[in-house]
Amino acid sequence: MITHRIILPLLLLLALGLLAMAPPLSAHHASGPFYDSDKPIEIKGVVTRFVFRNPHAALFLDVTDDSGETAEWQVELGAPVMLRRVGWTPDLLPVGMIVRVAGPSARAEGAKGLLGRKLTRADGSPILEGGSTQEPTPAR
Amino acid sequence: MNSHKTKTLSKPKGQQSLFSVKGDALAAQLATGLIVGLIMATGLLSDTSSAQTESSEIPDLTGIWDGGTRARPINGENMPWEPSNFPVLNERALAYQQVWEEIIAPKYDCQPASSPAIQYDPYHMEVTQWPDRVLFRYEKDDQLRTVWLDGREPKATDFGIQGFSVGHYDGDALEVVTTHFVFDVAGFDDYNGIPSSSQKVVRERYWREGADLWITLTVEDPMFLREPASYTTRWIPARAGYKLASYDCDAESSRAMVKFFPSKYK
Repeated sequence: MITHRIILPLLLLLALGLLAMAPPLSAHHASGPFYDSDKPIEIKGVVTRFVFRNPHAALFLDVTDDSGETAEWQVELGAPVMLRRVGWTPDLLPVGMIVRVAGPSARAEGAKGLLGRKLTRADGSPILEGGSTQEPTPAR
Repeated sequence: MNSHKTKTLSKPKGQQSLFSVKGDALAAQLATGLIVGLIMATGLLSDTSSAQTESSEIPDLTGIWDGGTRARPINGENMPWEPSNFPVLNERALAYQQVWEEIIAPKYDCQPASSPAIQYDPYHMEVTQWPDRVLFRYEKDDQLRTVWLDGREPKATDFGIQGFSVGHYDGDALEVVTTHFVFDVAGFDDYNGIPSSSQKVVRERYWREGADLWITLTVEDPMFLREPASYTTRWIPARAGYKLASYDCDAESSRAMVKFFPSKYK
């Protein structure tokens, strides 16, 4: 009985936690033709623009590499119509904010882009207070 | 919302008041006759003469429905067209697939999805039932389809991206037939590069099972398919209070990732 009193609520919390991490999806297009899951990449950069429009939100970052060169990277995120349901707003990622993004890299040669599978603040904490770090994942 | 499997549609209140005029009986009859005569003379009654009667028991499909991952697996190359129900393509369709590449799809210029893809997109949908029509409003791409129940037929000018839909209630189901689609280079689905033609015919059957809304959809298109193909899926009721959001597709955002595609055409 005691076991049930402890374990059942824990299982419920775990289930709710998993639900909270379920990524909103765009489902506008397949990601495979544009991004290579076998070539994941992680970048850290300064937000220069956050376009919160359907069918995909897009985040633009100034990223400085090891040699000191700065270039603009483009991150594809989910559909705002879905992101809004989990609390995202157009001003969530203001210009100047430092973020980390990880995900499959763009397929086109030399392209500076990726699919945002994981997005956090500079210190690794979730973008949304108490939220998941994986909200922005677009289609598949 | 969505709490009953069947419901009875009633006439709009304004129409009911026409037949409950109080006062002098003869004057009322004359007035009623004059009004009805005027309406008939202008042909307003002719288009609704074959609508299903108001007393018919019809399924209650009204509501906002969630077609997202709570309801079904997300769409993709093998969903809802799995190996078991994948369409049998003819040579013309196979040739199209050979020249196809993803960024040809007009959706990257915000062209809306159409049948049979839009029914399986993982977004919300609102169904409204009127006596002479059923309205399907899709959150994806802000699309509205009207299914006419009054017996009207499409005219030669009624071609469009969503086609022209007519329907009727069959027991506890709504049957819809849609024709008059325009040619669409990616008109079959969002993932497999299969076009569809003006010969495309989409048949839908909607029904309720408990709280859920189900559909069996069958598509035929002799221009590209050797035989009809079909899938069955469901929506679940949207969370309480949910309202469809505006999609308002943005052309720049729609094409933003096209530059990441390694085109085979140089």
